[in-house]
Amino acid sequence: MSDTDVTGRSEGMDEDPTEAVETPADSMTAVDDDAVSDPEAGPVGAEEEFSDDEEGSEDDEDGDEADDETASESSARRPRRVPSLKRLEEEGEVAADYLEELLDITDLDGDIDIDVENGRASVAVVAEEENNRDLNRLVGSRGEVLEALQELTRLAVQARTGERSRLMLDVAGFRAARRRALEVVAAKACEEVVTGGTPVRLDPMSAFERKVVHDVVAGAGLRSESEGEEPSRRVVVFPVSQ
Amino acid sequence: MLVDALDHLVRGIVGHPDDVQVRSKPLRRGTLLEVRVHPEDLGRVIGRSGRTATALRTVVKALADGRPVRVDVVDVDRGR
Repeated sequence: MSDTDVTGRSEGMDEDPTEAVETPADSMTAVDDDAVSDPEAGPVGAEEEFSDDEEGSEDDEDGDEADDETASESSARRPRRVPSLKRLEEEGEVAADYLEELLDITDLDGDIDIDVENGRASVAVVAEEENNRDLNRLVGSRGEVLEALQELTRLAVQARTGERSRLMLDVAGFRAARRRALEVVAAKACEEVVTGGTPVRLDPMSAFERKVVHDVVAGAGLRSESEGEEPSRRVVVFPVSQ
Repeated sequence: MLVDALDHLVRGIVGHPDDVQVRSKPLRRGTLLEVRVHPEDLGRVIGRSGRTATALRTVVKALADGRPVRVDVVDVDRGR
């Protein structure tokens, strides 16, 4: 992929007429997604340039995880069993122990925040001092290290609790910043769909990124789906079907 | 430091943490880190389509900060 601007969409709106008819008649558009764009973005801090991400996203295929389902699928067809608050807090603590010791061993300074958001444990490693950029090593240039570390942290939780974890990890505010940028992209796409009346296809994104977009789209009362295979899986936003 | 970091990362995700061994061997260029785990944990450390092993490599490489490092998961039953 040679996109220089992942935040823009890469194709014209009407280059594929088949898309427009594809909208199923029975699809409910006003989806009450469980996770409409949460402004709760977590810690801030990274001034990463999010110019690319596709190649780094092969590790987010996440078949085990419903991150990437379209909003309508996740809320209508497959209600997710949300673990109890206590369970999620325990997940956060196990994860924090795992990460804390890693920071210790590697001499990286960071504080660990634990939270529960949208039915998931959410753990963030944040710099103790604003300008300390050492933690970016745990993010990687495209977030690939962060994805890997999240994967390992989930497994560490699973090893202790015996259950799959959908925990979200952020380091140095990387995800938080990425989410804000994507919310803008998604809102723009929605606008285009509403004014143009044809589907808009976004650039390839990781599962986390697609989830952010799906949530914004659902919040705008439109419908979205993911299409294609990793790592070029992408979100398509559809107009309201009536 | 890398050995300890990898040791910790692996120990945390297996069922038999006490059986985890990470050894460092010098290569002509860089370092080889050999990971040995309880046979029952081999699948966990490698993961579906090698996904977990890849994640371990990604994190270790990031921590190595440019120094060349290789991570091998040793199948104890066969290798040795």
